[in-house]
Amino acid sequence: MTSETGFDPKLYDRFPTSGARPRGELEELERIWCAPKGWQYLTVVNNNYVGIYYVGAAFLFFLLAGILALVMRVQLAAPLMGVLPQETYNQFFTMHGTVMMFLFAVPMVEALGIMLLPQMLSARDLPFPRLSAYAFWAYLVGGLAFFSSLFVGLAPNGGWFMYPPLTSTAYSPGINTDFWLLGIGFIEISAIAGAIEIVVGVLRTRAPGMTLDKMPIFAWAMLVFAIMIIIAFPAVILGTLLLEFERAFNWPFFDPTRGGDPLLWQHLFWFFGHPEVYIIFLPAAGLVSMMVAMVARTDLVGYRLVVLALLATGFISFGVWAHHMFTTGMPTLSVGFFSAASMAVSVPAGIQVFAWIATLAVGKVRYNTLALFIIGTLIIFTMGGLTGVMVALVPFDWQAHDSYFIVAHLHYVLIGGMVFPMFAAFYHWAPMVSRRALSERLGKWVFGLMFAGMHIAFLPMHLTGMMGMPRRVYTYLPDRGWDLPNLISTVGAFVLAAGIALFVIDLIRNVRLAPGGGNAGNIYGAGTLEWLPTELYSTRSIPVVKSRQPLWDDPDLSKDVEEGRYFLPGSVTGNRETIVTSPLMAEPQYLQIMPGPSVWPLLSAVFTAGFFLLLTVQAYGAGLVSGVLAILAVLRWMWETDRPVKQPFVDIGAGINVPTYVTGTSTHGWWAMVVLMIVIGMIFLMTVFSYLYLYGRSTRFWIDPPDAVSLALIVGGAALSALLAAGSRRALLKGDGRKRLAIWLLILASIVISAVTFIDYRSWLAAGLDPEASGQGAVIHAFIGLQACLSGIALLMAAFVAARGARNFIPVPRSNVIDLPAIFIIFTAALGAAGPGLVRLFPGTL
Amino acid sequence: MRSWIILLGGLALWAVHFFGLYFTGSIFLSSGTARSIAGLFTLACAAATLLLMAWINRQSEAVLAGWVSPAGRAGAVLALIAIIWQGLPVLF
Repeated sequence: MTSETGFDPKLYDRFPTSGARPRGELEELERIWCAPKGWQYLTVVNNNYVGIYYVGAAFLFFLLAGILALVMRVQLAAPLMGVLPQETYNQFFTMHGTVMMFLFAVPMVEALGIMLLPQMLSARDLPFPRLSAYAFWAYLVGGLAFFSSLFVGLAPNGGWFMYPPLTSTAYSPGINTDFWLLGIGFIEISAIAGAIEIVVGVLRTRAPGMTLDKMPIFAWAMLVFAIMIIIAFPAVILGTLLLEFERAFNWPFFDPTRGGDPLLWQHLFWFFGHPEVYIIFLPAAGLVSMMVAMVARTDLVGYRLVVLALLATGFISFGVWAHHMFTTGMPTLSVGFFSAASMAVSVPAGIQVFAWIATLAVGKVRYNTLALFIIGTLIIFTMGGLTGVMVALVPFDWQAHDSYFIVAHLHYVLIGGMVFPMFAAFYHWAPMVSRRALSERLGKWVFGLMFAGMHIAFLPMHLTGMMGMPRRVYTYLPDRGWDLPNLISTVGAFVLAAGIALFVIDLIRNVRLAPGGGNAGNIYGAGTLEWLPTELYSTRSIPVVKSRQPLWDDPDLSKDVEEGRYFLPGSVTGNRETIVTSPLMAEPQYLQIMPGPSVWPLLSAVFTAGFFLLLTVQAYGAGLVSGVLAILAVLRWMWETDRPVKQPFVDIGAGINVPTYVTGTSTHGWWAMVVLMIVIGMIFLMTVFSYLYLYGRSTRFWIDPPDAVSLALIVGGAALSALLAAGSRRALLKGDGRKRLAIWLLILASIVISAVTFIDYRSWLAAGLDPEASGQGAVIHAFIGLQACLSGIALLMAAFVAARGARNFIPVPRSNVIDLPAIFIIFTAALGAAGPGLVRLFPGTL
Repeated sequence: MRSWIILLGGLALWAVHFFGLYFTGSIFLSSGTARSIAGLFTLACAAATLLLMAWINRQSEAVLAGWVSPAGRAGAVLALIAIIWQGLPVLF
């Protein structure tokens, strides 16, 4: 095939290089990527540290949520127990579900990605290490504060999916629900930050030669995972905002007496909530696909089919959200479509399971702890999948809905699909980050207890569900036949917990973290790149990848990499660097100068968390101050970025020269901006859906839109803003003399789009629209609020560019500092015209 | 871009088909009109998937990585099966 970028693949034949490396090269690399000391542990941004922090924090939340589950099981062990009062039980089951889903499962797989991906792809680090650090600190601070609400009796109590009207102010007047809405909304922002990092990292920082076809399955899974987060999470962010607006400002999105609809929440929540299951499962499946090949000592059977299955699962998972709503009275035909889709999603999952079984069948399996956990995964996940097909059948779902059968099903899927793979991954990858491996002997006990405990706890729940026991009840009456299965479930929960406790003991006994090297190494004999010798700079040099299991296929690879015989054996600019490669064929494109440790991601995260939490406890003034400080901290963090180095081109090994500063569509910054715009675009689309949905439910309270003059002004203004932003980019191309003009054009563009938003707001006000009066008013104010946020960000960006221009920090003739804000403003202008256009023309004119 | 279209085209058609069915069911409920529109839309999406497969077959291996066409074809076949499967409820 021809090259993707014009790079000649024959150049790869120059590697491994021969001859001695320059003296001091390795020492300089070590100096640049040196280990932190003391307080610097808070400012580190390397994935080696942030990944370990992240995994540790997610595991902590797993233990905390598990403890809640144990207390609940004690309460349910016998009828009419009095361990937990009803209200506390409500808080416990809500926090158990919420913490497991939002603070453990998604962050854990994201954490494993941040920890493993740079090494698997042989990058020095992911492209935005400070964003990873921000995502972690935001998650940790927000998560701990959220969990602490339990200790003061203010924890959410409406179930992990928070259905209104139960969670409206009428039935949940306290701030418990607000903790969930603002806390989870905030933690989702952290997840999206991590997802942007992973998408750009997987597509742009792979080792040269690692085409998509040679990429480790886990990287594929993380790519699909991150894209799914980007598409799915905006729905729940919007949903939480709308419900919070309803609670705080009395805007009736979900109040049917004023043209809202509580089912809108269910659509928004489950559009996120069902893909969430696959968001958790797919990375775990990726881990299993990698480990199963290693355990069986052979290549994964059906690599391409498994990749296809990952992609297909990602796509179809967005078409099954309403199977959680079969009992809400949807049209029969729609129910049929969702039922068919729900059954179809088992096909790609089945492809993966059969690929794993086939790999085990054709290989020579070593029956160690790791293998046991993988086999446990196969059994448990398949059982959960089968009951999943059962509840995809509408008549059965009507019977089983909201019963303990569903509790059993979801635990089989999530424990088999995520928890067991995670434990297998701990055993497999612990030697990569620890000086000692975990104990095989204890590990088999851990597996035995967990496997037995899991079945003892959850298998009887199918029965209790079929016998009619509803979920979320804090107690039950005797003589209903539920006593014995509940007692058995409680015993099983403690057996499961004993297995996890034994694992923690194993962790304490054996794990000695070694992020800076000196780890136990490749004790299982795996073949992927994370098992190359690594230090804080990742591998000494970045290899050319020629197969999916490079370490198996080239026995000299580790030695040659360690001797610096591949790409980037040292630092060519004196900074932290990595090679940015093309998305399909991984051809070297340019050298990215990476940012080093910084306190600003930490401070940004702390102040962002402060903003949300202070709003939750209704300390509005302090919350505002915290928000302003968060913005200042982010701007300060950005101030140090995008500074070209003195060398425009550098030799990255064997005489191959690449630029050190590029602009336009090939840059990692551009890609990140595009991903961010997709996130915002999804929030916008979900708002459009909300608008159309409420229109379809009732137009009794709707008013006529403002006149056409306001629409003409808005569209004209948005077009002018976009033209000014585009003109800004063009002006900079003319050279130094037009730099000032470029900055002014950008400032004007941001002012014009802000004025457009104001015109929109004023015209609706003049038309008599009241956000408290109707669903229409509420949604249109949500549109305007979103646009106001985007306009505010555009203004901030323009001010930032002006400040950088004043200090001469804008490279000419092309600069990412101008390019990226310009694209953002053009995008804002497009939404600024589309939103007002829709709500004026439909149902008004169309 | 061509490689991405080949790789993801089938799956994208599958997604478009599903959301088309959802909107049809939501707007026209379970009426005869809904069934007709959904049935025709299913046929249109299935035809589009077949056209996509034919287009993928015409692409020269010389300008694509060897794995792109087979992966794209497999995705399109999977999408075709899924589109037909998901369209079946209009018959009942």
